[in-house]
Amino acid sequence: MSEEITEEIKELVIARLEAIPPNKKISVGNYGEFTKDELIEGVKSESEIGKKIIEIEMGFLRAMKQGIIK
Amino acid sequence: MSSTYLITRPEHDDTTYYLSIWSKETIKLAEERDFKVLDLYREKANKKEFEEKIKKFSPKLVMLNGHGNFDLVTGHKNEIIVKAGINEGLLKSKIIYALSCKSAKILGPKSIEAGALNYTGYEDDFIFVYEPEQFSRPLSDKTAELFLSPSNLFIESLIKGNSVKEAFEKSRTALKKSLSKAVSTLESDPTAARFLWWNLINFKSHGDIGAQVLD
Repeated sequence: MSEEITEEIKELVIARLEAIPPNKKISVGNYGEFTKDELIEGVKSESEIGKKIIEIEMGFLRAMKQGIIK
Repeated sequence: MSSTYLITRPEHDDTTYYLSIWSKETIKLAEERDFKVLDLYREKANKKEFEEKIKKFSPKLVMLNGHGNFDLVTGHKNEIIVKAGINEGLLKSKIIYALSCKSAKILGPKSIEAGALNYTGYEDDFIFVYEPEQFSRPLSDKTAELFLSPSNLFIESLIKGNSVKEAFEKSRTALKKSLSKAVSTLESDPTAARFLWWNLINFKSHGDIGAQVLD
């Protein structure tokens, strides 16, 4: 991902991850399987999985804004 | 003469377990349609077995479940099964669907250069959401279904005689339907939407999209 990860971006992504129900897990390919709390921790620490989630979340939000996703 | 369908189904973590159980549905359909099925399950999903079965039976349709990277797909316990620059030539004259991460980026085009008819898969990580409480019965997991049912549809369409183009469009349409459901309904998990969208933009097909499994 080329864009800079600011504190504002991290806060936005974390806020959206908070909406994940506690009874769900996410399989992210080679990174493994994660709970909501593990993803949030990854975003906070900017780990590899955290950066991946930020990339996905920001791309998704842009697509929503552009009306690509309806 | 019946067609042959080779499938790898490693099972060594949550991810491969779910992929294995869900893709078993494609085996049922293939058997109903009189395909010869080569099911490389658990320990049999290894490079040696894969190469032997490919050379001996020359399956027209190959589904690779497992982890992966840009240039490779792995089997049980992450043993590399096929890798660009090593053995992608084995995929010559075949239609391949890789339900694994990233391999459509490099292994896909490389396998086409080596003579594969078509290689369909994902150019970045394949992601899905699941419910751990459904772990003993993954096919009842409605959250995972949003992701894995559209995936199965690609193979099922090919088995039914559709071209890659038709199968790809059906699978994409089902994925879009899952995405719409996740975005717009309360019954569905809205948190799945971001990952359905991610899979959708990374779902790619290389090679001859007019190819068919049935001659």
